[in-house]
Amino acid sequence: MFIACDETNNKPNHTTSASEKQNAIDAVLIDDSSVLQIPLMIERIKEIKTVLAQKTPIILLDSLDASAANAQQIAIADIKFCENLFDKKTHQAFRNEVFNVYAARPQEIPSNLQNEKIYKVEMYNYALNLTTTALVNINSKSIVSVTTFPISQPDIPSHLKNIALQIAVNNEQVIKALGYKPEEKEALMANTKTALNNTKCERSLHLCVAPTFIKDNKALWVIVDLTDYKVVGIRWTNVGTTEAPENRISERKLKFEKIMECYCKKVTHLEKYNWNLNYVITTSDGLRISEVQYNKKQIINNAKIVDWHVGYSNTDGFGYSDAVGCPEFSQAAVVAVSDPRVSDIVEGGKTIGFALEQNFSSEQWPLPCNYNYLQRFEFYNDGKFRTAAASLGRGCGNNGTYRPVFRIAFTGNKNSFSQWENNNWGVWKNEQWKLQSPTTTYTKEGYLYKINDDTENGFFVEPSRGQFNDGSRGDNAYVYITKQHLDKDEGEKDLITIGPCCNTDYKQGPEKFIDAQPESIINTDIVLWYVPQMKNDDTKGKEYCWAEAYLENGVYKTKIFPCMAGPMFIPIKK
Amino acid sequence: MKNIYILLFFVSALVISSCKEKMSEEEVAQIGLTPCRKSASFIKSTGFNPSHTAFSTTEKNYKGLVLIQLPQSPADTLGKKIWQDSSWKKFGFMGSITTDETGNIYTAPIPVVNTLDIPVMEMNKIYKVDCNTAKMSLYCTLPKPDSSTEIVPYAVLGVYYDCHGQKLYAASVSGSNRDEEKGVIYVIDIKTAKVVDQLKGYDAAAVFVCGASGEKRLLFGSTRKPNIYSVELNKDGTFKNNKVKTEFTLDQLGPRGNDKARRIRYDKLGNLLVHGVEFNYNLAAQTEKPETGYLFNYNDEEKKWQFVKIVN
Repeated sequence: MFIACDETNNKPNHTTSASEKQNAIDAVLIDDSSVLQIPLMIERIKEIKTVLAQKTPIILLDSLDASAANAQQIAIADIKFCENLFDKKTHQAFRNEVFNVYAARPQEIPSNLQNEKIYKVEMYNYALNLTTTALVNINSKSIVSVTTFPISQPDIPSHLKNIALQIAVNNEQVIKALGYKPEEKEALMANTKTALNNTKCERSLHLCVAPTFIKDNKALWVIVDLTDYKVVGIRWTNVGTTEAPENRISERKLKFEKIMECYCKKVTHLEKYNWNLNYVITTSDGLRISEVQYNKKQIINNAKIVDWHVGYSNTDGFGYSDAVGCPEFSQAAVVAVSDPRVSDIVEGGKTIGFALEQNFSSEQWPLPCNYNYLQRFEFYNDGKFRTAAASLGRGCGNNGTYRPVFRIAFTGNKNSFSQWENNNWGVWKNEQWKLQSPTTTYTKEGYLYKINDDTENGFFVEPSRGQFNDGSRGDNAYVYITKQHLDKDEGEKDLITIGPCCNTDYKQGPEKFIDAQPESIINTDIVLWYVPQMKNDDTKGKEYCWAEAYLENGVYKTKIFPCMAGPMFIPIKK
Repeated sequence: MKNIYILLFFVSALVISSCKEKMSEEEVAQIGLTPCRKSASFIKSTGFNPSHTAFSTTEKNYKGLVLIQLPQSPADTLGKKIWQDSSWKKFGFMGSITTDETGNIYTAPIPVVNTLDIPVMEMNKIYKVDCNTAKMSLYCTLPKPDSSTEIVPYAVLGVYYDCHGQKLYAASVSGSNRDEEKGVIYVIDIKTAKVVDQLKGYDAAAVFVCGASGEKRLLFGSTRKPNIYSVELNKDGTFKNNKVKTEFTLDQLGPRGNDKARRIRYDKLGNLLVHGVEFNYNLAAQTEKPETGYLFNYNDEEKKWQFVKIVN
């Protein structure tokens, strides 16, 4: 293989054209895991379930000539060829499928067997993303060699091409993008697996193909995941540009460019029910909301999560201090790989508000030492709101404590902060911190703190003690109040990681903004820092801040056990 | 009169050009190939066998640089030993490593998961471990980035010492951002630790000097694209010009298909071994960072690098 080697006096062009940026913006990320209900897919799932129950769970290639069929039978009878058919711990069957059987090419045949009739059998393991090949001597009815190739996929057979096309042409987003339902014959290159088609599903490590539809001077790439039978996303590219690699669409490129262009570089305005707000994914402070208005009155300047601290108790000082944020050109250790989501909050059949959510995920999650964090803002029709977050595991052990560091900057320059103590509201005079503990007392409504201006407008603060029906085991949170300085940056802009992983006391970072001589926080601009503490658990039936991989139809799925934390803010009714 | 000026210009250009020392074909061919580095003398005092040791900055549970005594066989898991001088961890996590003829070691800070150990503004530095004392100290401070814009949380991603020209090459992406590629490849005089030349506008990690093509060239792996570029060098290791050439690409090779070159070196057989990893200018850390080795050799007839195979 020879690689292009163009001499140039000019710097290679690394910039993305305006039209390609627009294509990235127009891309659609699809997060629908349901399997398309068409006869072909129903039949396919039925076939998979049947094969998985067999002693040798391999979907075989049919319509083979006698020699190829013979080669396939010899291969699947070989112990080494079948070494990876089952999960070694659970003994459950993986989804395995023979993709190709063909007369081996001369260069594939060992020199001492050049005169023999040698066939090659290629099998793909969807769960492990593993290819196993066997060279079979038809004459001697024996195996010549077996080789495994991790993170590798063979060329796909024609029946999988048909499935990919059916999934693509029936997808609503594809139909919407094209303006009509395409014919299968319009899809190009679908029989070329993404590896050969110069595109991959690098993050999920699934088998993907990219049926491509040409319309006018553009090509619509539909990335179809043949492991999960779903469309990952769609994106247009310009046809006819000379730099082909620039236009290759892979799962990572599709997701990263969409998120960067739409949510990292741009502020999105959201107006829903009585609420108005802006949001953006930051480089290191997660999803940041700002200029939050309820009934056209601004109540929050901005709110975000500046750090996630994860400490493990059995190893002193072992853990991570993770920033979350944009997938590229950022200080994020755990990155956004999906769109922010807006959904209604429904209670008793009635819509009572909406939620804005964003996930940040490590590439290999839910494998050990990989993380997935959920950030969630809830806005209710009655004016209350919640800033919440959850760890979805899995982390590096079952003795971890997660401490997300929330920063909420309230609107107003005449605010004060009070704590419910001794059946009364006691005003905090200076910057300080407090820990919510089992002996903490609350109002009968469950409020612990209050933030209000000089006209008694403001919010009660209700920490989670498990009352929000989200499976939470309580916040056990540190609360810090600092003066908001409008003339110096104490976290308004993106903050680098402000605290170490493993402090178990109040030293989580916000204390750095409490001066040696704590400033007055009465009738002024204030910032609320909130650091809940969630201890993970992998005990069966009690999992918390945890995730488990399990096999479904022969491929891995993830079961999550979130640990949600975060306070509710309830408007003070005078 | 005008013609005389033109003539004078060409004469002076010729004189300047001739000042650059010429290199024989054999000399060029051996660049990067001939072993030229000694083990650091302090290794003997650690009790480790210098011929079975290696330096690492990626050892689990260790911050900074460590010296590893490799086991006699891969199966001998207990035979692996680690030694670390106290000064090797005090400057935080380190990345690329190179050594000079006398065994001095050069390395540069790199953030791991976060920048708590070393702020971005203090990251553009190279540290040296003295071959006799084993002490790590600051060797060279490179320019600080412009902090007025959002910048990447990285600085020096690659260092390589070329014995032939006695220059240290340092590839830094300090100050780069998504919209502007502001990386610089510095040429540093090993004795004075002064920057003697630089190539601006290239974000790179892997750097390597070789003469496989018949010219002394610096190969460098872009961190923006999966491409390997090169630029011609003078005998003294400075840049002959700024004509950057695309040598080859890792695009669509390997399991990820979009790897960036982290390290380039010759293997024992004289093939070019390119270590490729995923790199997206973030601080995402995986427990097992997948890395793939890509083997290339130079086809003299075609005058091109030729992909041979993937090695792991």
